[in-house]
Amino acid sequence: MKQKWKDKTISDYRTGRGTRICKDMISLVMVLYSFITIFLIAVTVTNSFKTKTELIRNITGWPQKPTLENYVTVFVEEKFWRYILNSVCLVGVALILMIAVSSLLAYGVAQYDFRGKGFLQGYFLVGLMVPVQLTILPLYLMLSKAGLANIYGLMIIYAANFSFAFTIFTRFFEEFPVAVIESARIDGAGDLTIFAGIIVPVSKSVFFTVGLLQFIMVWNDFFLPMVFIQKKSAYTLTLAIYEYTCNFLKNWDKIFSAVTVALIPILIIYFLFSEQIVSGLTGGSVKE
Amino acid sequence: MEQSTNRNKKRRTYLYFILPGTILYTVFVIVPIICSVCFSFFQWSGIGPMTFVGLDNFAYLLFGERMSPILMNSLKVTFKYLLAVLFFITPLQLFFAYILYLRIKFSKYIRVMLFLPYVLSTAIVGFFSILVFDGNIGMLNSLIRNTLGSSYTVAWIGDPKWMFKVFVAMIVWQCIGSGMMIFYADMQAVSIDIIEASVLDGCGDVRRFFSVILPNMRASLSSNLPLSVIYALTMFGLPYVVFGSSGGIDNTMDFIAMVFYRYAFGGTYYGTTDIGFGSSISVVLLGIILIAYLVTFRIIKWIRK
Repeated sequence: MKQKWKDKTISDYRTGRGTRICKDMISLVMVLYSFITIFLIAVTVTNSFKTKTELIRNITGWPQKPTLENYVTVFVEEKFWRYILNSVCLVGVALILMIAVSSLLAYGVAQYDFRGKGFLQGYFLVGLMVPVQLTILPLYLMLSKAGLANIYGLMIIYAANFSFAFTIFTRFFEEFPVAVIESARIDGAGDLTIFAGIIVPVSKSVFFTVGLLQFIMVWNDFFLPMVFIQKKSAYTLTLAIYEYTCNFLKNWDKIFSAVTVALIPILIIYFLFSEQIVSGLTGGSVKE
Repeated sequence: MEQSTNRNKKRRTYLYFILPGTILYTVFVIVPIICSVCFSFFQWSGIGPMTFVGLDNFAYLLFGERMSPILMNSLKVTFKYLLAVLFFITPLQLFFAYILYLRIKFSKYIRVMLFLPYVLSTAIVGFFSILVFDGNIGMLNSLIRNTLGSSYTVAWIGDPKWMFKVFVAMIVWQCIGSGMMIFYADMQAVSIDIIEASVLDGCGDVRRFFSVILPNMRASLSSNLPLSVIYALTMFGLPYVVFGSSGGIDNTMDFIAMVFYRYAFGGTYYGTTDIGFGSSISVVLLGIILIAYLVTFRIIKWIRK
């Protein structure tokens, strides 16, 4: 209600004709600018249906004889389904671990009073400021000693880097009404039961937002998989695409369908949930 | 008796919540940081004995005949990019946020489209960059060839004169969205009473931005600027994909994180593969981040006064 009123008022102020024309010009420029994105995506998708010979003559046009040949090559010969599966497994396990651990932790820090609480809150923020370069060498040594310098080690590393998720969860759990928790406790519910039975169902939206943002982060990450994954069969989607771009001309025909395969799911997620992504991103950093 | 154990149990239960996270985080985030700092004082190939060498790694990095030019070049590139972030990209994000705030026509569509590249991976953005800017097969050059003639074509990502500008353009395209949305959300939180007062006083849109909106954006500036600084100083993925592992011709785009990667994981090709030496580069990077952090905080504090 309040939000609506606020939104309305801004645009309700009448401005002079000159300003209005100026604004329309800006909006025209911005719309033209947005065509770059649309154009890039459209070219990639249409090119994925062209044969190699056609691609040499015709990069920007409509495919003359649309063919699925490239997709067959990418999926059957190049085994792209494997990279997709790797990415899905990596992201899935890492996210479940990370969210479970960080939400429990945030709840513990937000709802209980204990000595060293203030210290812990600062302690878990260190991860936001430290560059990944600083931790990667010891991590690599440590995990290769344990035989985990691979996709499994990667899952653990992502799960441990939960500082961002922790801040969002803490902020939410701190505002959670204590009365609800107290009454459940009087009814005889244990602490973990309260968390799993009351807190989690009520805070579904926060879990979803955190999951979404971390999904984008882990799914798109490039540096850590590059360091940790050497075996080609364990490549993530990002690494597979990167390998194609290294030999751009050699993979000229396959690369467009490969990128299209990587592009479509993330675009669908974006258009379905762009509001949640934005709210998670801004909610995590605006409030002080 | 029962009462006291009950209370004790109640007091201890928080441990169930905080222990798993604390252990995981300590082992995989904090301990590696400490290890890195320690390693930087040693010479160690990863196996075998570690030799304590004091500050030798840093001395070699800063003053060594071979290493010093590489490090200085990468510092120059990284700081040049940091300046571009602070004085070009961030103002641009503020500008875009403000025009969305003013609700120009199609602002919802513009918002969605500007933010979109944020969800794309570095590899895909790198692919788009090569597709557009490559000297031989890039679409920009074929457009120039068809309209202006082939003498006007430029090797965008192979020409040191253009590489940095092209790179900033890619970053603007990919990363403008996140900061823009953070600023936009903060602008909407500016009290409507102040806006109203400024309208009644006959304040124009441009003037309002500088005298009303910007002074009220401390929260987002002080949270977003340090993050932008860290992001800029640790830049790795996009230059690595587009320009190659050593930053292309003349190492024009050789960021410090790329130097680190080459010497920490590059193998024997780059000479020393020394855990200690690699760590010393990451410690230097940490030092730079801390200094940059302090400086930005000082600046933000100074602005607040």
